[in-house]
Amino acid sequence: MAVTTYSGAEQYNFDVVKKFAIMSLVWAVVGMFVGVYIASELAWPFLNFDSPYFSFGRFRPVHTSAVIFGFGGSALFATSYYVVQRTCQTRLVSDGMASFTFWGWQTVIVLAALSYVMGYSQGREYAEMEWPIDLLVEVVWVSYLIVYVGTIMRRKQPHIYVANWFYLSFILATALLHTFNNLAMPVDLFSMKSYSLFSGTQDAMTQWWYGHNAVGFFLTAAFLGMMYYFVPKQAGRPIYSYRLSIVHFWALSFMYMWVGGHHLHWTALPDWTSSLAAAFSILLLMPSWGGMINGIMTLSGAWDKMRTDPVMRFMIVALSFYGMSTFEGPMMSLKEVNALSHYTDWTVGHVHSGALGWVAMISFGSLYHMIPKLWETKIYSGRLVEWHFWLATIGIVLYIVAMWISGITQGLMWRAFDEFGNLQYSFVESVAAMVPFYAMRAIGGMFFLTGASMMAFNMFMTIRQGKRENAALEARLAAKMAQA
Amino acid sequence: MEWLLWFSRPENTKPLALVIFFVTFIGIVVYVYGSKKRGKRLESYRDIPFLDDWQGTKDKQ
Amino acid sequence: MNFNFKHEWIETNIGLMAVLTMIAISVGGLVEIAPLFFIDKTIEKVEGVRPYTPLEQRGRDIYIREGCYTCHSQMIRPFRDEKLRYGHYSLAAESQYDHPFQWGSKRTGPDLARVGAKYSNEWHVQHLVAPRSMVPESVMPNYPWLLSTPLDISDTAARLEALRKVGVPYSATQAEHDANVTQFGETVAKQLHIPDAQKNLVEQANFGNYDGDRSGISEMDALVAYLQVLGTMVDFSKYADDAFVDDR
Repeated sequence: MAVTTYSGAEQYNFDVVKKFAIMSLVWAVVGMFVGVYIASELAWPFLNFDSPYFSFGRFRPVHTSAVIFGFGGSALFATSYYVVQRTCQTRLVSDGMASFTFWGWQTVIVLAALSYVMGYSQGREYAEMEWPIDLLVEVVWVSYLIVYVGTIMRRKQPHIYVANWFYLSFILATALLHTFNNLAMPVDLFSMKSYSLFSGTQDAMTQWWYGHNAVGFFLTAAFLGMMYYFVPKQAGRPIYSYRLSIVHFWALSFMYMWVGGHHLHWTALPDWTSSLAAAFSILLLMPSWGGMINGIMTLSGAWDKMRTDPVMRFMIVALSFYGMSTFEGPMMSLKEVNALSHYTDWTVGHVHSGALGWVAMISFGSLYHMIPKLWETKIYSGRLVEWHFWLATIGIVLYIVAMWISGITQGLMWRAFDEFGNLQYSFVESVAAMVPFYAMRAIGGMFFLTGASMMAFNMFMTIRQGKRENAALEARLAAKMAQA
Repeated sequence: MEWLLWFSRPENTKPLALVIFFVTFIGIVVYVYGSKKRGKRLESYRDIPFLDDWQGTKDKQ
Repeated sequence: MNFNFKHEWIETNIGLMAVLTMIAISVGGLVEIAPLFFIDKTIEKVEGVRPYTPLEQRGRDIYIREGCYTCHSQMIRPFRDEKLRYGHYSLAAESQYDHPFQWGSKRTGPDLARVGAKYSNEWHVQHLVAPRSMVPESVMPNYPWLLSTPLDISDTAARLEALRKVGVPYSATQAEHDANVTQFGETVAKQLHIPDAQKNLVEQANFGNYDGDRSGISEMDALVAYLQVLGTMVDFSKYADDAFVDDR
């Protein structure tokens, strides 16, 4: 460590933040590509190529893991390490452990993807990783918790900023969920195969308690933490209401954990459980919208930024989609609506309005803000950001609309009776009716993927530019030193 | 110890839990919005993300 | 009383904040999940549900391996259209030995909870190898490798043993076997005996000849055996229409 530069790198550990930021872009492109591919498989089944490795069933978890844990997870690691250092004004407590979380987490994603195509799966949605990978996740996650809490403990700023509360609750909740949902008995110590500890109804409830809170804490609370830091920073004005954020935080943390059962309406799960879950789902609308209002109103008085700043636009559109899908969600948790929407593409559309509209858009916005700062430069091309914004927005709209139409059509076709009281349609007629919408969805996904690839290119060029500027600066400095 | 059995019945504990949670929620809301002075104090923490621009890192140039 | 609470206590104390957050996020799960293990009514009392035979269980493993649950549910809801299309709504009891459950969340293809005995073995084999040869509009992938891959039966007993450890009544001892005879009858109990697992599997595959090829046991044998048992364990003609309503 002979050479010291006089930048943030000295005070903060930005190295691990940079690595995670880059990998988050890589996984975004990879994961979304796989997403487009499996969407195309549904529209054009020949794409399965009679190969076990590419067949939809094995490939779908590759998509979900790559985008949720690869893209989303890496973006969260990057931003949380960035935010916790800057709001606590201190360096990460341990560079070694932080680096371990990086390599550990990337290994998890790669192993997970490989194991799925090889045919190792727990058969639990969003938790398909088999037990050895689960154990690795556990170790990485505990290290993450230690680094995060350790850093907060040595903060220079007496107060813990609200963004960190959300990140903290995300880390704690994910640890809890991951541990209990993955309790399993391996066939033997050298076998990748395991059987879940719970069975049937109890297993279903555990899985959807996990499944919905992966949404609630991994994909919501944590990204709200992102929102609470990056929206004010990008807008150049503090968050709309700190008091609202207090109510928002406690209400959201408490209520989300109740709602998983709404995935199991009308199933063999006892009625009281899913009804209770539905009641909380409706209540959850309040804190969700509280958060949305808090984010959007931060811009009040500076609305022109929506026009002038494309990065800001990513964030505000993200919050709007967040508001929309947190309204749609409670609606779909009503038993009557759920009777129609469940098992259909509507659910898939709903997930993606949250995942693309909220999670991906707020991550894009935050990364556009953070990456130039990390490499101490400006965004390479503002026009590419503009392009990305429009491609992403159009892509999402295409996707959601296709899934709304196909989902509602499916639901209605399944329950349609003819005049004699017989089922009007055979199942396969509903499949045939879906094909155009599956194609439309794939095209929407392609738009979104193209946008993300542009971003990856744009950020690659930004980083290169930052490195060059830095090198030039250092050369000039060195020259000056030599003169002196 | 007989009175403990009262808690073992869901028809008792359900409304009890509801009351507890609701009171907690109202408590938080009243606490947060109840007093102007306290409100002002709480709102002052909004500025934390901007603090390290002034005193923290010396950004280049 | 001079109790002057300040939210700042929490906001400046990471330990307190972590503990309170932990409490806030634990309540929901505890209240909703824990009772399911203790309330009698969670699982209905019904006759006929038994653990899978070794061959069926291996088929189930393949079902999970191929990710069938990403497109097929195994949970029929109590609606008129689902009753007509699939049959009696699913009971909790019917998946009580399912580790993990495979209720699914999406019907890109139809529900499979009662697909057993609806189609012939030959239909299933042909449909799995080339779905569009049977159902032209289908978007299901082809699964030709199931037919060409021999089933790995080397760890059959180990798999059942793992399931036994999580509570499925496969028998390892004579006493457990006798208990199974009482509960499930002689024929079923024999299939559940772990020391004979591999032998039982081979016998069932040879006898059933699910893939239509007698030269060996393929993964197709196992998967079709599993599909053919789905939903067939409970004889609903023995129960009144509203027999299970109270359990909901």
